Amino acid sequence: MMSTMPHLPSHPTARSSSSLRPPLADLHHHLGLLVRLVGAQVRSQLQYRVSFTMDVVSSFLMFGFEFGALAALFVRFETLGGWTLGEVAFMGGLTAVSFKTMDMLFSGFDPPAFGEHVRKGTFDAILLRPAPLTLQVLGSRFVLMRVGAIAEGVAVFALALWLVDVHWTAAKLTFLPLVVIGQLAFFAALFVIGSTVTFWTVDSIEAMNILTYGGHELNQYPAHIYPLGLRRFFTYVVPTLFLAYYPTLYLLDKPDPTGMPSWVRFIGPVIGLGAFAGATAIWHIGIRHYRSTGT
Amino acid sequence: MLLYAIARQSFRRHLTYRAAAAAGLLTNFFFGIVRVAVLTALYDGRPEAAGITLPAAITFTALSQAVIGPLAAFSWFDVMRSVHSGEIAGDLLRPIGYLTYWLAHDFGRALTQFLLRGVPMLIGYVLLFPWIAPADTHFVWPQGGAMWTATGVCAVLAWLISFGWRFLSNLSAFWSPDARGIIRFVFSLSWFASGFLFPLRYFPDWLQQLCALTPFAYTVNAITEVYLGLQRGGDVVRLLAIQAAWAVALLAAGALVLRAGVRRLVILGG
Repeated sequence: MMSTMPHLPSHPTARSSSSLRPPLADLHHHLGLLVRLVGAQVRSQLQYRVSFTMDVVSSFLMFGFEFGALAALFVRFETLGGWTLGEVAFMGGLTAVSFKTMDMLFSGFDPPAFGEHVRKGTFDAILLRPAPLTLQVLGSRFVLMRVGAIAEGVAVFALALWLVDVHWTAAKLTFLPLVVIGQLAFFAALFVIGSTVTFWTVDSIEAMNILTYGGHELNQYPAHIYPLGLRRFFTYVVPTLFLAYYPTLYLLDKPDPTGMPSWVRFIGPVIGLGAFAGATAIWHIGIRHYRSTGT
Repeated sequence: MLLYAIARQSFRRHLTYRAAAAAGLLTNFFFGIVRVAVLTALYDGRPEAAGITLPAAITFTALSQAVIGPLAAFSWFDVMRSVHSGEIAGDLLRPIGYLTYWLAHDFGRALTQFLLRGVPMLIGYVLLFPWIAPADTHFVWPQGGAMWTATGVCAVLAWLISFGWRFLSNLSAFWSPDARGIIRFVFSLSWFASGFLFPLRYFPDWLQQLCALTPFAYTVNAITEVYLGLQRGGDVVRLLAIQAAWAVALLAAGALVLRAGVRRLVILGG
């Protein structure tokens, strides 16, 4: 094991020397550090093999059972808000892949886990280390077992492609990865904001779960089935519905019962990346105002 | 008396987490509302499906969210932790059986959760019903004193069964340091087969029969069936009897497995 342990270089002069080095070398160094931190996380989680396998299988099944239960209802009810099982699976799979990938990559920013650092005062230690803060938080936790849930999302999406005859065009094929990236960035932004809030509240706030896990749930079903108040909130206050529902209307050529202009079908990725940029700014403001709990 | 004292202590301990319960309630309520929207859209104007009217289906979403706390539907690792940490050594020295101790403890926990999360959830639904359900429909309550009593008995038996499989799956900690994954697996199975996600009646027959082979079907789904009056007269008695049989079987299995586990238990000092 020793030979594979990451050898973290100690470099107290990293900050002063960074101005002398070209920025690209800096980026390369930081990426290398992130890979090492995440690598250490991955190896430690793979130590308990049976446990890890069971966790992956159960996280695969957890979502699988949820989707399976919904699918079983289509035998009786046939459609959900005018959508077939395949169409619901298309959006559900897309959302699951985006959200679960985000959940794995940004585990360190999962508000309850991050709040733990603030509460216990271990965030102080992170501040003292000579490496970029954001990078350390990203590398502090990496929940590999989420690959089970991601795989399930891929399986559901594959099922959708088999059930639905999508009229693919070059534009749609280009747009598809952007939808995934946009949604991933959007939920990552909510994670980062939820974590930043703990600088002030110490404990992560439950309301954040409604926006993150609740938002993930909302983006599994066609949005026109929701009551108007709920829909308005998740359109104009927290624009979650632009990330999956409207892009899916475009990809599957579905009518829009909510009566929005047709261009909103394309703004999801922009909103996602914009939210991420905003969250990054809020995160940096939060760091400047961080006061240790003293524990 | 001792059991009563443990249950009371557990009740009071869990009662201190009122703020957490209130916050959790909000999330449960949100997910309940999404479930209402999905069911309403699936019904798509049908007056009823599989014998369940739309107002009854909406009431079901309230029930399913209300039992999350009392039945610990998402996770429960308490016994596993006590085995892995070695605290079990102290627990085994108590003048009361390990299983009985946890049963009393879990009763206190379930009761707090029922009062802090179950009851407010139902009240919240009643208050918001005019906004979330079709006009001129009402929240469904059990019909008559007999059905109220049956629902109460059914809920207690459901809790016993739930405790039974939770305890049993937690005992895997005696054999494996990887018990967490095993327990999670059992929980994910329970979501589907217990009728927590949707009443089992909506499923195709073969799937209903498959679920009915597991103890899970006699927890949330049994409560739904009795509460909504989907089973009547002799069928209710039969359902309660099957529940009681499952409760006894699971607790007996728990006691047996526990004995085998304790025999191979080695506590390290220090």
